[in-house]
Formats: sequence, structure tokens, C-alpha cells
Amino acid sequence: MNKTPSKQSWWLRLVEWVDGDREPKDQTLFVMEQRPPRHVQRSDAEFATQDKHRLHRFRRWYPVCAVLICLALMGILMAAVLTMPTFGEADNPINNEVAEHYLEYGLEETGSANVVTAMILSYRGFDTLGESCVLFLAVAAVMMLLLRDEKNTDEHDQQKQEREDGILAAHPDLILRRAAWVLVPFVFLFALYVLLNGEVSPGGGFSGGTILGAGLILYSAAYGPKQMRVLMDARRYAAVRTFGLVLYVLLYGIYIFLGANQMPNYLTGMTLLIDLAVGLVVACTVYGFYVLFSRGEF
Amino acid sequence: MLETILQNRFAVTAVILFGIGFMNLLLQQNLLKKVVGFNIMDSAVFLLLASLGYIDGGVAPIVGDRGFDPLYINPIPSGLVLTGIVVSVSITAFSLALIQRIYRRYGTIELWELLERAGKEDD
Amino acid sequence: MIVLEYILLAGLVVCAVAAPLCKRLLTTVIVYMAFSLLMAVLWSLLQTPDLAITEAAVGAGITSILFFLTLKKIHALKGTRDE
Repeated sequence: MNKTPSKQSWWLRLVEWVDGDREPKDQTLFVMEQRPPRHVQRSDAEFATQDKHRLHRFRRWYPVCAVLICLALMGILMAAVLTMPTFGEADNPINNEVAEHYLEYGLEETGSANVVTAMILSYRGFDTLGESCVLFLAVAAVMMLLLRDEKNTDEHDQQKQEREDGILAAHPDLILRRAAWVLVPFVFLFALYVLLNGEVSPGGGFSGGTILGAGLILYSAAYGPKQMRVLMDARRYAAVRTFGLVLYVLLYGIYIFLGANQMPNYLTGMTLLIDLAVGLVVACTVYGFYVLFSRGEF
Repeated sequence: MLETILQNRFAVTAVILFGIGFMNLLLQQNLLKKVVGFNIMDSAVFLLLASLGYIDGGVAPIVGDRGFDPLYINPIPSGLVLTGIVVSVSITAFSLALIQRIYRRYGTIELWELLERAGKEDD
Repeated sequence: MIVLEYILLAGLVVCAVAAPLCKRLLTTVIVYMAFSLLMAVLWSLLQTPDLAITEAAVGAGITSILFFLTLKKIHALKGTRDE
């Protein structure tokens, strides 16, 4: 009986504090900035000069402090670096049995000759899963900031965009178009080569995906958004982006339950498929950044 | 001393680059230059990590039948840095998007000016 | 080979110092692009070709595109200031 109101009031106060309505009465909980009480209202001029003075002092001391902190940090780091083991020696502590295991059994256990690919996609696939999520969330965050919708745009912006579109449609960049016409197929071919050969040569999901995204960017820059919408509109983009991540999760889930943990590995070709999923995620991320930065809409 | 520096040249350069980047991050007034400084810091960390895995005379860790058994470099730092590079792009993109929004709201990306305008709007 | 390493490392430091000191933002971004390319060459010297490909595509390609687009949006390029 006694507990409920106090709990509720605690909850209410927290809600008020989160909403920013007012500071909590219980100052022990959150010590916030103390404002001067109302009755000692200073004059505006006095307040302004004091503020200016404070800002001036801050500006004068800030660079000095920053340089001091930087130099101290660099000194500490340099001292640490000079006691580090010699660069390039084979018996440094970093070259331990983990690396040896990867190099010795990597091909056998994952079916991928490129040990770096084997490591990031198979041995440490969870790491890459987390990273794919980071990329996905980064696109979502940039979309929140820059996507052009009713709330996020005004008349002026709209008119300017339309004017630019009109100029672009009336005067297409001939050099860029011709160059793109020649280059885009080769860029895509190279991207696919890097993606599919990630197992046996340098490359793999990250680099191949980036090159694929760069090809999409070149195509979009040369032929304009209207042409691009035929290939990839907003809904299709969202579908592909989500599909890449889900595909990665599914494939890696299957892989880790069937192949890893000392169990016999029947899925040596799996790294290639996981590679493709990562490439899809990265390509979508890169292309999404470009589209959101350049026009704000798909 | 000099010999140690010359031997650990990559690590020393990484520390210098880190310091330069950090100094830019703290001292530059332009938000875009702050982002460039941040990227330089990123690269410094990657350089340090990747140089740790290098072995003199080693070759890239792509195993296969070459008829002989070469010395491979350590693949673990390369894998870690590969993930890091791609994440650093998304961080750059996010901060640049924030800068665009700040410019749209306040019309400037110089820090002091920005603070002044924001302070005026608060009053 | 080791001389090339020293040259590249010195170039990295020079680019890192020069990039934020440039007056025009466009120059800053271009110098940063050069920094990234030097980094890509260094990766291949360190025998990590995966990193070299990724850095060349990402650092010199994608990041610079994003910087340029931002420059256009904040009217720091010539001819993009609207009246």
C-alpha cells in the first residue's frame, strides 16, 4: 500500500526527467546543472559580458591543454612502441599457435586457400556478422538523417532539386556517359571476379562488394536516377539489403551447426556463398551511402 | 635508440600519425577537417596492427601447392584490419551525414560560429 | 625495397600534416585521397593484398566520393553556392 505510490512517483519523476519537463526533485539521483534562483536576475548586458569572458578564457586555454594532452599521449605511446618486439621477426609473441593452426589447416578445414578469407568468414564469422549488422545500422542511421521525405524537406529544397534534375536531363554529360558505357561492364566483371575468387586469391566479400558498389555508383552518376530506378528502386534496394544480411545469418548458422566445432565438415564450398552474402551487404551499404548523400532518395 | 626506431619504423610512424590525427581532431575548427583527422587516426591504428603481423621475407597468406613451403605472414591482423577499414567508412559516412544536417540547420560548419549561433537560438 | 618503405612512410606523414592545413576543403579531401593511396601501396608492401584492394576501393574511392558530395551540399565547391 505504501509502496505503490512511492514507486509510481519515482516512475513519474523518471518519466518527467526523460521527457525533459523538469529536473528531478531528488537532487541526489541526478546532480544536474544548478541554475541561479529567479530573484537574482542579472541584467542582460552583465550576463553577456560574463558569458563572453568565460568563452574567451576557454578559447585561450583549450588549445594549450589539447596540445599538452596530445604530446603526453604521444610520449607514452612512443615509449611503449620503443619497447615493442622487433618488427618482422618470426618468433614475435603475436605469431603464436593460432596463426600456425590457421595457416596449416585452413585450406583443409574451410576449403579456402586465402587464409584471410577463411579466417574472417569461417573461423571468426560471428565477428563478421556483427560487422554486417554495423553496416546495416549505419545505412539506417544515414537514412534517418538524410532521407528526403515529407518531414525532412521543404519547398526550397524541392525546387532546387527539381531545377538540378531539369538541368541534368537537358544537358547529359556526354563524356561521362561514353566512359561509363565502356567502363561499367568491366567494373562489374572485375567485382564479380574479386568476389568469386575470394577463396583462392586476394579479395573476397569486402573488397568485391566495395567494387560492386563503386560500379553501381558510376552507373548511377552517368545515367541519372531515372535510369537507375529501373534497375533498383527504394523497395528493391531495401529488399536486397535485408536479403543479404538474412542470407548471411542463415548460411553462417547452417555452417556453424553442421561444419564447425570439431564436427566433420561437409560444406567446404560454403565459404563462397557466405562471401557472396557479405559482398551483397557491403555493395548495398556503399551504394546506399552514395544515393543518400547525393539525392536523398532512391 | 636510432636503430630501434628504424627497426620499428611502422609502429613509430603509426604513433606519429595517431598524434597528428588526434591533434587535428581536437584543434581544428572545421568539422570536416575534424573528420579527416579522425580518418588519419583510424589509418594509424590499422598500420600498427597490420605491421605487427608482418614477418621478414614472408609472403601473403594464400596457401596452395607451390612445390615448396614458403614462410607466410600472420593472417590474423590482416583479417581484423579488413573489418576495421569497412567499419571506418560507415563511421565517416555517418559523421558526414551529421555535418550535412548541421549545415542545413545552422548554415555553418565552423565550430565556434556554430556554438554562437546555437547559443543565440537557445536564448 | 626498404628505401621505398621509408619514402612511403615519410609521404604518409607529409600528407597527414598537409591535409588539414590546406585552406580549401577540396584540397584537404584530395590530399587525404593521396594519403589513402599511399596507404594502399604500403599494404601491398606488407604482403596483405586483401587490405590493399579494400583500401584502394574504399579509402580513395568511396570515402572521397562521400567527402565530395558533402562538400557540394555544404556549398564549399565553386559554383554550388545558391543565391
